[in-house]
Amino acid sequence: MSDKQSALVPLIELRHIDKHFGPQHVLKEVNLTVHKGEVVVIIGPSGSGKSTLCRTINRLETVDAGEIVIDGELLPQEGRKLAELRAQIGMVFQSFNLFAHRTVLDNVTIGPREVLRVSKREAEEEALRLLRRVGVASQARKLPAQLSGGQQQRVAIARALAMRPKAILFDEPTSALDPEMIGEVLNVMTELAKEGMTMVIVTHEMNFARRVADRVVFMEDGAILEVSAPEEFFSAPKTRRAREFLNTLRERERT
Amino acid sequence: MNDAKLSVRAALYEAPGPRTKRRIVSATALSMLALAALLTAVLHRFYVTGQLGARYWTLFTRFSTWRFLGQGLAGTLKVALVSSALAFGFGMALMLLRLSAARLTRLLGTVLIELSRGIPTLLFIYFFFLVAPQFGLKLPSFWKIALPVSLSAAGVVAEVLRSGVNAVPAGQTEAALSLGMRRAAVFFRIVFPQGLRFMVPSLIAELVIVLKDTTFAYVVSYADLMQNARVLISNHDALLSVYLVVAVIYILINYLLNRLSVFAAAHSGTAGAARI
Amino acid sequence: MGIQELLSRFGERYLLALLTTYRLTASAFALALLLGIAVTVLRVSPIRPLRAAAELYVQIFRNIPGASLLILLVYALPYLEVVLSYYAAVLIATTLIPSAFCSEYLMSGVNTIGAGQIEAARSLGMTFLQIVRTVVLPQAVRSSVLPMTNLLVATMLTTALASQVPLNPTDLTGIVSYINTHAVGGVTAFLISAVLYCTTAVILGQLGSRIDRKVRVLR
Repeated sequence: MSDKQSALVPLIELRHIDKHFGPQHVLKEVNLTVHKGEVVVIIGPSGSGKSTLCRTINRLETVDAGEIVIDGELLPQEGRKLAELRAQIGMVFQSFNLFAHRTVLDNVTIGPREVLRVSKREAEEEALRLLRRVGVASQARKLPAQLSGGQQQRVAIARALAMRPKAILFDEPTSALDPEMIGEVLNVMTELAKEGMTMVIVTHEMNFARRVADRVVFMEDGAILEVSAPEEFFSAPKTRRAREFLNTLRERERT
Repeated sequence: MNDAKLSVRAALYEAPGPRTKRRIVSATALSMLALAALLTAVLHRFYVTGQLGARYWTLFTRFSTWRFLGQGLAGTLKVALVSSALAFGFGMALMLLRLSAARLTRLLGTVLIELSRGIPTLLFIYFFFLVAPQFGLKLPSFWKIALPVSLSAAGVVAEVLRSGVNAVPAGQTEAALSLGMRRAAVFFRIVFPQGLRFMVPSLIAELVIVLKDTTFAYVVSYADLMQNARVLISNHDALLSVYLVVAVIYILINYLLNRLSVFAAAHSGTAGAARI
Repeated sequence: MGIQELLSRFGERYLLALLTTYRLTASAFALALLLGIAVTVLRVSPIRPLRAAAELYVQIFRNIPGASLLILLVYALPYLEVVLSYYAAVLIATTLIPSAFCSEYLMSGVNTIGAGQIEAARSLGMTFLQIVRTVVLPQAVRSSVLPMTNLLVATMLTTALASQVPLNPTDLTGIVSYINTHAVGGVTAFLISAVLYCTTAVILGQLGSRIDRKVRVLR
């Protein structure tokens, strides 16, 4: 992946991000730059602020201080400009969040049609292509509730891809899935990474992180403690807290 | 991480940016002005028509007024409680018909439930007030209101009981039957007590409907809160103030009952629905 | 009095009474829907005083007994020099109470959608109005069919309040009182009205659940 890194065009920049939830200091002076084509995996214990950080990137969460720059543009705080920037950043949620009253196909076409004003035919052709790519084309006419969790999440990925986003944010995409369905979603994500999609992934899947990440970000208590290449992070973490975190995970796997 | 807990209102209006914040602040100020203007207009109406006059309101500083209203309220509560108990009994009977094994009784149960739910309380009241006496059925005024109110509530109660019973997992019945219990025992000792948990919130909500329906007691001249209010009005010549105060009393009682229903629902993990 | 004699003497009145009840029900329900929607918009708005006012409105009209409200409108308002026709008073009472319940049903309909879908729409770059139009309203309407059917039936039952004021023609409850004060109507007069109410309620209920089955949102 060194060819990607050599280009080093920053796509998402978080500068001095600070956030409180009431008395809780959930993000502390966070700085992070994600480059074009890069896959950044954020890991850390639950409650470490990693999901919150992910959600600040398209302002689903507001920040108290600091700035977020997307492809050279400062993320606006409201209005049409904010919506336009959001349209350029895809998002995949833990609980899929498909539109329950629309078919799978509609779920994928609704963004392009409503936001990008693409014609119905064009949007549907593209949607079917994407659904084939994530392996759920045969379910196109069904409603979300008729699909398995893994299928729903793959539809959600297709929905994000349909906007032709510059980057996709994954907020714990496999945490709500039964174990046998996790693989099918991770495979789709691996494919995306290979094709050069810029991705920010919050996950607990360590093997996946090790395989796919260009960089691993370790967070705890609202702060980034470590940013390393995956091999380096998993074999020789720099911080004591990261070592402890990995050790607990390994303990748990063994038992 | 916490998107499930986010309320829909919070999600619908995302955290405002500076421009939106300014707009909300000015809209808040404007709406406060508008509401204040509305309140002033209403009070002004009271003032110009003399309804703010002391003679309409001083009666509420007297203990005797409240004692008399209290007596009326006691009459209301008495008839409401008896009606509720009756409605529970009738509802139970209707539910048993509805759930019975025989087709004919099931049909009868369905028809009776639909009748109870589809006929206005007032029509039931007129039946006992105007029609029944023609057949020599001369009831005291208490029963002329308690019976129609309970008959009118029975259908809903039956449906509440039925859905509570249906919410109990079938495995409970199977397990009890496998112990050799008789069907009736299974129902009354195993299934129904467990279903009660799901029924309580809706049954409390049904109390509100019964209480509201008892306000028609004036039709049959039963001394309830509304009837005593009428006496107060003719004694003090203060119609508007007395009826307003009485309305507030009803609203407060029903509000508290509804809160209780919501509280019970939260405790039993069921959703109590608002019912008109 | 037998049913034939009753119908030959009062048949036309029954028809008018039925139409009066239907007319009151239809107008009150339509108005209650509009009011209920408006109140719900205020209840979810980010403007606190409006939210509080709408909440108060709902609590008042959810909890006030129909008789109490009608009496205030008919007998108390004239003391404020506001005089309504009897029909208007009944219509207002039978609109205000269902409108509060309408808002309650819409609120719970909106709440079943869940914040997640709204966030998903937002992350696609949809504006507030687009989200309301494509995600919130369609689902709120679909999941409101059954409650709204119940509300329509409840509104019809509430219009029996019309029997408490002199109306000409009377409504379906008032006619029972009318016949029994002008003749010995007996149980037949009661039964005719009861059957008409009930049949209407059952038909509306069937219609509602048929529509609901077609449009219900699977979750």
